Parts: sequence; structure tokens; C-alpha cells
Amino acid sequence: MGPPPTLPTSHSFSSPSPKTLQETKTPFEIRFALLSSLSIQNHGMRHLKGEIGVVSKADGSALFEMGNTRVIAAVYGPKEIQNKGQQMNNNEALVRCEYSMANFSTGDRTRRPKGDRRSTEISLVIRQTMEACILTKLMPRSQIDIFVQVLQADGGTRSACINAATLALADAGVPMRDIITSCSAGYLCTTPLLDLNYAEDSAGGPDVTVGILAKMDKVTLLQMDAKLPLDTFENVMQLAIEGCKAVAQYIREILLENTKQLESRRGS
Amino acid sequence: METTTIGGGEGATGMAAHMEVEAFRRLFPLPFYDRHLSKSVRPDARTLDSARETTISLGPVASADGSALVKIGETTMLAAIKLEVMTPSTESSDEGSIAVEFYMPPICSPMVRPGRPAEVAPVISQQLSDVIMSSRMVNLKELCLISGKASWIAYLDVYCLNADGSLFDAALLSAVAAFTHLQIPLVSVNEEGRVFTVSGEQQEKTKLELVNKEKRKLSIGNTPFPVTCVIHKEHIVVDPTAEEEAIMETSITIVLDTLGNLVSIYKPGGVGLASTATIKECISRTKRRMQDLKIILEEAVSVMEVD
Repeated sequence: MGPPPTLPTSHSFSSPSPKTLQETKTPFEIRFALLSSLSIQNHGMRHLKGEIGVVSKADGSALFEMGNTRVIAAVYGPKEIQNKGQQMNNNEALVRCEYSMANFSTGDRTRRPKGDRRSTEISLVIRQTMEACILTKLMPRSQIDIFVQVLQADGGTRSACINAATLALADAGVPMRDIITSCSAGYLCTTPLLDLNYAEDSAGGPDVTVGILAKMDKVTLLQMDAKLPLDTFENVMQLAIEGCKAVAQYIREILLENTKQLESRRGS
Repeated sequence: METTTIGGGEGATGMAAHMEVEAFRRLFPLPFYDRHLSKSVRPDARTLDSARETTISLGPVASADGSALVKIGETTMLAAIKLEVMTPSTESSDEGSIAVEFYMPPICSPMVRPGRPAEVAPVISQQLSDVIMSSRMVNLKELCLISGKASWIAYLDVYCLNADGSLFDAALLSAVAAFTHLQIPLVSVNEEGRVFTVSGEQQEKTKLELVNKEKRKLSIGNTPFPVTCVIHKEHIVVDPTAEEEAIMETSITIVLDTLGNLVSIYKPGGVGLASTATIKECISRTKRRMQDLKIILEEAVSVMEVD
């Protein structure tokens, strides 16, 4: 095998215009200016970066970045069920997921990165979202573990985790119905915004997270908090779905590139 | 896949006259390694005393005050330091403190599962803490802000992202590199006498009185460099992978500092016994490896300063 891909170490992320994003300016004013100047292709999404195979010991692994949010996902499985008591259904694989954040991932150092309510909730959400696409019936009496570790958090961690998990599952060769991608969108100052970062998310507007099965065009995950009138909600959700499709396009490119590399290494 | 012919005379393998190499490696790891060691080579074509390719990069975590990513072969460690202001204790009123924690999240290895944490994680955590303190790499007095009232506590978190042997080596290297990269944030004192950190832009805008404008970087004393060897029968194997660590008799970790002083020797029991000659041999291997590690660290620092 060739040299393993190294974890990206550069910490200068190229966001739409890094020079103008200062903390003193209100985030939605900047985003509004950017949205009106960006073409439709860009969608106003943050810079995406994905890499497969970062953890050599795992059956499948991936690193995914959305702007400053950086997440590593590792998949172990399908393997023999560890705890027979947990096995609900004999005819399907058991999917387990654990989400944890590094102590240094947020601005203030977090004390309990695992086991707190938010982490447990996000673990559950990711597990159920991935269960929708994994063909569990093909692997009865086995177990698939998905572990997600957040290295840097800047809003949209849920979405970055789901995207990283999709890449890791593909790397592990787990049979899936479709690729699941996720993106968040919000609504501030009468403008729908795509892919909120932490500053925009905490500005108090609603936050809609959507996860779709890309080709089948079906929604598996939909979460929203704060109030939103119905027609605005439809706009925001549509925007989030377009964002998901853009992520799906990017993920497909990564997977295709990876397959080409594997092919060339095999010498075929 | 290639097949290998196993000669007779080896009990467990006598029956496996023709077998694929990979299967032999899984089923009979000890004879597999014995055959390699007798020819003074390892399965990944290294010699017995050569270490894997090591890379250090500084500053991967933008939100931390100091961070470093170290890879030794496949073993990957991410260390990050966050500084917080605290009141020092009365006995050491002009010193800061360092809190070291080492994590092995489940992504790093199939052996680690939620509910079954790695046995070796708290051991390495304690080892790291001991070595960092006893090597006096960081002068705690430099972490003091206002004597008796405010000082820094440096929270060093080391995360193992991929566990493939020599975990302590990579962890200590990443801790050392993170301290080298550490940039102490500017602080100022408000009216109630409380110390708070000031970000770069705020400093220009509000002209607060800054307490520590000059000293932003720690002066690192003699840096400790570790090397782990495993001892198997009469061979000394430097920088083992996880597979080698699992089957070899015993491991020994030696930490030397740049002046050549011995900082730590750690041989936690094990079936293999080491004579003093063996230990001296390990120390000389460590000396050689230390030269390479010093160069790698200096290169990483100069790359960062160019940026």
C-alpha cells in the first residue's frame, strides 16, 4: 500500500472571505452581503474538506470539515455482537454510535465531553439516521460501531458528524442504501442562511438541520428549534436540502477519487 | 497471495506445510516474528533498531493556545493546551500548574469500546504527568501572572487518534511539541481586580493595560525525548507496532533529555528479564533516536515560524 494519507494539519481554512469576518461585526450582516454576491453553486456553504482512511486500525474512517468544524469518524464492523443482551432483533445488524467532543474543541474547555445529555442525544440521532441507510438485514447477528470524535466545534457538528459517518461507512464497505448527507440552515434578519457557524447559531434565530438520502431524495433527519412561520420554514428547509445535495456531490467526488486510487494501487 | 513453506521441526507449524503468509501471521504470530527476528528484520522491512517515520506538525487546533499533531508510523496523537486563569495555592504562590490528561477514544483502536476503556490510558496519563513534571521542561514560575493572586493553569489534553504501538512516545512528543507551540494569551485586569484574557483585536481597540505584553512564549528547558523498545528473548526491538507489543515479552521505555540526562526508565514487569547490559544498549538506542527527534522538532518549529 502507498503511504497513508496524513491528517490535514493546516489550520488556515479558506472560508468565503476570511478577512472580513471579524468578531466585532454582526455575523448575519456579513452573511447577507456574501449571499448576495455568491453564485448559486456556492450556496453560501462553508468550505468542505473530506478525507478517507485517516485511522488505519479502523475498518473504515474519515475526517470531515465544514468550515472550522472538524470531525473524525471511525467505523468498526460488521463484527460479532459483543453484548447479546443488547440485541433486539435477530434478523438485523445492531448499529451503535458514540459521539464525543474533545476537551479543547470549543472556545471554553469542556469538562464532561462524554455522557452528558447533549452528547447522548446526538449519539442517538446519528445512530438512527445511519440505521436508515445501512442494509442491516444483510448482516444478521452482527454489530456495527460508529464512533465520532469532534476535534474542533464551530456550529453544525451534528451535520459534520453525519457526513463523516457516511464517508467512514463507505470506506468500511458496509452495504448502504444510499449516502446520507446533512446540512443545517437558519433564518436571520429575514434571510435564510445556509450552514450556520457557532456565532450565527447563537444569534437566536431558528436552526433547521436536515439529513437526506441523496439519490432517493428522501428526508431521514429533520430537527428544528425556535419559532418559524410555515412558509418561511419551507424556504429554509429547501435551502438546507440544496446544501445537503451539494455535500452529497462533494462526497461522491471523494469516494470516486478514493476508488481510482485503490484501483491504481492494485495495478489494474 | 504468496504461500510460504514452513520447515519441519516447529511443533505448532509442522502441520501448516503450505499456508498463506497472512493466515500464518494471524494464527501463529510468535513463530512468524521469531523467523523474522532471527534474520534481524521485521515484517515491515525495518531493522531491529530503526524507528518508523515520525512527523510533527504544530498548531492544528486553532481554538487552543498551543497544539501539536504527532505521527509515528500509524500511531497518531493530538495534543492541545488551553490556559485558564486561577488563584495559586499559598505554598506555591508564584507558580502556575499543569494538568495532564490522556484519552483513548474508541476511534483509535478496535480494543477500546464504550464501557470498556483502554487499560493502558490512565497508565500513560500518569507517566506523561510524571515525566513532564520531573523533567522540569516547563518552569512553573513562568506560568505566574500576578504573584499570589493570579496564575495560569495549563490543561494539556492528549488524544490518541490511532493506536499502533509506542503510544507513550508519541504522546510525550506531542506534549513537548504543544508546549513549544504554546502562545500565552494577553491578559488585563478589570476594576474589580479580576484577570481576564484579551484577544488580539480587543487590545488594539480599547487600550487596556496589559499585564504580560512581553512574555508570550514559554522557555522550554531541556526537552525530554522518549523511546520505547521491546525485549524479546535476546533481541531488542525499537519502536514496536501494536502487533509487536502484543506478543513480545516485555517493553521498556527510556526518556532522555537534550543534555543526555536520564529522565525516566519504565519497565513495568513482564516475562522478559533485562540485564544491565541490555538496559545500557536501550539507552544508547535512545540517544541515537533522540538526535533524529530533535531535528524533526526543530524543523517543525521553523516551519511554523515561517508561516
